[in-house]
Amino acid sequence: MNRLRIWWSKLRHYAGAVWAENIKEWKLELTYKADFARGLIDPVVYLLPYLLYGVALVGGRSSENLQRLVGTSDIITFITLGYVFIGFLNMALWAMGFSLRKEQFYGTLESVFAAPVPRWVFTMGMSLHSILHQLLMIAVQIVFILAVFSIRINPLGLLPTLLVIALMLVALYGIGMFMASFTLIFKQGWLVSEALSSILMILTPIAYPLAVLPAFMQQAALFVPTTYGILTARHFLMGEKISFTLNDALLRLALLSLLWVAFGLLVFALIERQTRRAGTLSHY
Amino acid sequence: MADSTHPNPGPPALLCDNVVKLFRRGRGLKKKVVRALDGASLTIPQGELFGLLGPNGAGKTTLVRCIATLLIPDSGTIRLFGHDVFTDSLFCRQRIGLLTSGERTLYWKLSARDNLRFFAALYGLHGRDRDRRIDYLLELLGLREVANERLERYSSGMKQKVSLARALLHDPDILLLDEPTLGLDPQFGRFIRQFIKEELNRKQGKTILLTTHYMDEADELCDRIAFINRGKIVATRTPAEFKREIPHKEILEVRCLGQPDTTGLKHLDGIEQVQADFRDGITTLRLVMPKAEKVLSEVIELLRPQVRLLGIDVKEPTLEDVFIYMTGTSLGADTKEEIQ
Ligand SMILES: Nc1ncnc2c1ncn2[C@@H]1O[C@H](COP(=O)(O)OP(=O)(O)OP(=O)(O)O)[C@@H](O)[C@H]1O
Ligand SMILES: [Mg+2]
Repeated sequence: MNRLRIWWSKLRHYAGAVWAENIKEWKLELTYKADFARGLIDPVVYLLPYLLYGVALVGGRSSENLQRLVGTSDIITFITLGYVFIGFLNMALWAMGFSLRKEQFYGTLESVFAAPVPRWVFTMGMSLHSILHQLLMIAVQIVFILAVFSIRINPLGLLPTLLVIALMLVALYGIGMFMASFTLIFKQGWLVSEALSSILMILTPIAYPLAVLPAFMQQAALFVPTTYGILTARHFLMGEKISFTLNDALLRLALLSLLWVAFGLLVFALIERQTRRAGTLSHY
Repeated sequence: MADSTHPNPGPPALLCDNVVKLFRRGRGLKKKVVRALDGASLTIPQGELFGLLGPNGAGKTTLVRCIATLLIPDSGTIRLFGHDVFTDSLFCRQRIGLLTSGERTLYWKLSARDNLRFFAALYGLHGRDRDRRIDYLLELLGLREVANERLERYSSGMKQKVSLARALLHDPDILLLDEPTLGLDPQFGRFIRQFIKEELNRKQGKTILLTTHYMDEADELCDRIAFINRGKIVATRTPAEFKREIPHKEILEVRCLGQPDTTGLKHLDGIEQVQADFRDGITTLRLVMPKAEKVLSEVIELLRPQVRLLGIDVKEPTLEDVFIYMTGTSLGADTKEEIQ
């Protein structure tokens, strides 16, 4: 009974800390309103010309080649869905490390690390903020795209898609922790982000079907959480043929989540401890 | 001894035993090891206001950061109320109120209230309790009027008050205050000192570790003081005990209207040093000598024809005098780069 109460109050403390970190990030972000608005609109400005370019190349939004490869022909919906997941991947690779770097720059990282919450709680608040930010961005993009094109999806596919996305976000949290640890030790931690980002970007079948990748890359892609996100989302929403069942996808994603989260937490903890030994926590 | 504020003394609030902290800088041939803490030991009983006094680079901040779990020492142990800060760090962080030196420890783009809300959540406060606590602290520190303004518009004294409020949010048992009045104008400095002594220590009974390189601050506030120099605790005493450490020296302080000629004084028997400070038409002379009584009448005789005497006092040596006497370093010195 007593132990239960302690757990409950601890849970409440940590949940409150996650939420407070999220709120604080929003408030900081919204102090620069113009930058914020630009950040929301920029991605659309990049995406739209590509969609139009694709339509021009194919001669319409329906591609027979795509139909042959994956069982669905609508390139607009295909690419838009892929693009949504690029956003998630980018977020995992950059957002958390960037937030930590910002704290170092403000000088607030030590104040935060002196507080009685484990590091993962704090970083979870950061990723909650970036997920919400990402969702807002997706909403804006979809509004813009809908103004030009119609998107044809199967509404029944939304539920399994959200399930897959939820699990994928757990794995991305692990990747985010892993990436963020580099910002603690390298002044140029972003170089690591850049390298990993390029690799993962190629491996993730965003604008193309998995089938166009060489065989070994197809294998490697199966270790990247966003692959399952994209493929199952497109499967349920627009009928892309996939080589695994929903259960397979969920099972593998669960496994990947476990691996990435364990790995991310471990690397972060080791590096964070190292910075407290070296006295470089507050350096930027 | 029955003391109403601490009926149960329990373990010491803080115990540092032989703490060593090395910083390695540079690479290859230029590699240099800095011994920031070189076996520092101290014990602070619950309820004490304890001062750590030492020059720039002595290791004060490093010790505070080790206690606050922001640095991991190379060796030695640190216990807070009997709990090891390394193995039991979440527990210890919950009981520490930390005020770090340096200005940028809050979000300048946010208001005082938003800053406090955020940190309150990290310390486990929520809902109405949290809001009440924040209101109480804002009121206590005289910040209510400006609470919703961004910190970037605050003066550094006001920012320091917000930092202090942040340190107090969770009603911690021990406060670590690293140079709390550094760089503040005198009015704020006085307020903060008074607040630390009267409100936090006397009234709320908090244990306080305060670092400073101002000897007046240590002298005025602290129950006990440790001298720290080059990473070592040189001695720990009460301010009065420290001043008795310098044998055979007294300071005669004479205040007079106008500016007297002091050459005659320097030739009086036994006077070793004459300092004169002229301000607002009043001169304050500090004469250092083994025994003030012996020359008192001669000093008066010499000065009376020249100026009007306002007061004569025999003063104890200051902590600064003692620090120099014990370490050979002045408190104003910068010992940062000499340490190896
Ligand atoms: N993170 C760090 N990395 C490398 N060296 C450091 C670091 N922090 C402190 N030092 C060095 O350790 C020594 C002790 O520094 P510390 O900041 O503890 O002194 P201090 O007593 O707080 O001085 P001050 O009055 O300047 O605040 C100095 O020589 C300093 O240069
Ligand atoms: Mg310092």
